[in-house]
Amino acid sequence: MTSLATEAPMASPVAEPLRPIAVEMTGVDKWYGTFQALKGIDLTVRKGEKIVICGPSGSGKSTLIRCINRLEPHDKGTITVNGIELDGSPGRTQDVRLECGMVFQQFNLFPHLTILENCMLAPRLGRGVAKEQAEAIARRYLERVRIGEQAMKYPSQLSGGQQQRVAIARALCMEPRIMLFDEPTSALDPEMIKEVLQVMEDLAAEGMTMICVTHEMGFARRVANRCVFMDKGEIVEEATAEDFFGNPDSDRLKQFLAQILH
Amino acid sequence: MNALPIDPALAWESLPAMLRGLMTTVVVTVIVLALGLMLCVPVTLARMSRNPLLAWPAAVFVVFFRGAPLLILLYLVYYGFGQIEVLRDGPLWFIFGSAFACAVIGLTLNHVAFMVDVVRGSLEAVPAGLTEASAALGIPPRDTFRQIQLPLAMRYGLKAYQNEVVMFTKGTAVISVVTVIDLTAVANEVFELTYDPFTPMLTAGALYWCLVNLIRLGFRKLEAYLSRHHIAVEKQRQPASAGFTALAARWKLALSQKEQVL
Ligand SMILES: Nc1ncnc2c1ncn2[C@@H]1O[C@H](COP(=O)(O)OP(=O)(O)O)[C@@H](O)[C@H]1O
Ligand SMILES: [Mg+2]
Repeated sequence: MTSLATEAPMASPVAEPLRPIAVEMTGVDKWYGTFQALKGIDLTVRKGEKIVICGPSGSGKSTLIRCINRLEPHDKGTITVNGIELDGSPGRTQDVRLECGMVFQQFNLFPHLTILENCMLAPRLGRGVAKEQAEAIARRYLERVRIGEQAMKYPSQLSGGQQQRVAIARALCMEPRIMLFDEPTSALDPEMIKEVLQVMEDLAAEGMTMICVTHEMGFARRVANRCVFMDKGEIVEEATAEDFFGNPDSDRLKQFLAQILH
Repeated sequence: MNALPIDPALAWESLPAMLRGLMTTVVVTVIVLALGLMLCVPVTLARMSRNPLLAWPAAVFVVFFRGAPLLILLYLVYYGFGQIEVLRDGPLWFIFGSAFACAVIGLTLNHVAFMVDVVRGSLEAVPAGLTEASAALGIPPRDTFRQIQLPLAMRYGLKAYQNEVVMFTKGTAVISVVTVIDLTAVANEVFELTYDPFTPMLTAGALYWCLVNLIRLGFRKLEAYLSRHHIAVEKQRQPASAGFTALAARWKLALSQKEQVL
């Protein structure tokens, strides 16, 4: 899909500094009323990098990832996505959303549309692609997530794992340069987690820039260039997956890891 | 006099006039429902707007015309318009001077006020996650409204709309007070000519009953069409294995929790 596919970024634990920046957040604050959900977030993600974000519930992971495509407006600091700075203007917001695909915990497939229609809608309305072409794109990505034969079904007829794979295909149909995942496997039964992670790993292998909120340690170890630990709206620690899980620095991360590992 | 309070000969004799009255009832109902469908969406959007210059007048409109008793509203429209000189001398007096048009105007004001709450409730019932997914895909807000929110709201609001239509249809009987010859007016005339208190009222009642049930059948068809994605799940379950049935049941539950509102 992209020229980055051959560069196999998974091998190197830290991305080369020369790669262009995909997402840059500097000093980002976010308030919900009087509650501060993000406190001075600084985060740089380079093209082709895979970032895993984890942290306790309520630490601001979703808020952070939702600020990147402006589902939530931030209150302070700057967020730049592929050179486009989010300044609140509808035009730039739209441009950034075309750069980013997003996958949600709850799948959020449109229940009244078939799988195929779910995937065709955004290319048609967001990019003005003709119907036949949109269908070709949709079928191609549905094949890629190995769900092509379900194209004419409705979301409610699919299992959770299948629905999440459709959600990934639906996002890919817009051919985004960056993929945002917000706990994509947290609503799934254990037997379905693997099929979704596999699709995500395939995507990573093709060189996609990915920011994933997830607690799947195996996935983080296999895929992530960097792991980011958040707590109480702050980024507390950033490290390679190996150091992150094997040799954590801060007490807060140690505590958190002890909890998720029991 | 027979045991029944009904005089079949009178019922038969008055039937043509009754059917003409029914026709008037149907025409008024259809016109007001059509006007209601056209007007309720813009008024609802104004009501839900963050701009107080739109939201306030719409809110006042709803509170006033929901609260105003229909009978009094009709009197006010029919007799009140005649008191307004600009209207009486204006080019539109052929509308405001006609009992039929006044009935339509009075009923529409009342019906739209009720519909605003139906539409608002249905729109608010559309899961925020679906709107967000649409926005994240780069689908413009207008298209998100037309392709996601409105069609789903129609499904959620269908039962409430059906109730409103049935209540409204029966409620059209009040237009006889402003000299429109609807079904109730015809029944009243027959009563005044014959002093038979039962036959005309029961005949009219039977015709109202037929009309209301015709409406119900129509709604059932519409509902089947709009909820075809649910029906597909039902059909799929029958030949399924036990394990799959359990899975489908779980997804149906998850779906109904997500979709169930009214
Ligand atoms: N729309 C909102 N309004 C008010 N508070 C919110 C809203 N969304 C999130 N929060 C609060 O912000 C904090 C961070 O939320 P979130 O980013 O969802 O955390 P996480 O994804 O890490 O669990 C939580 O305390 C949450 O209650
Ligand atoms: Mg979250």
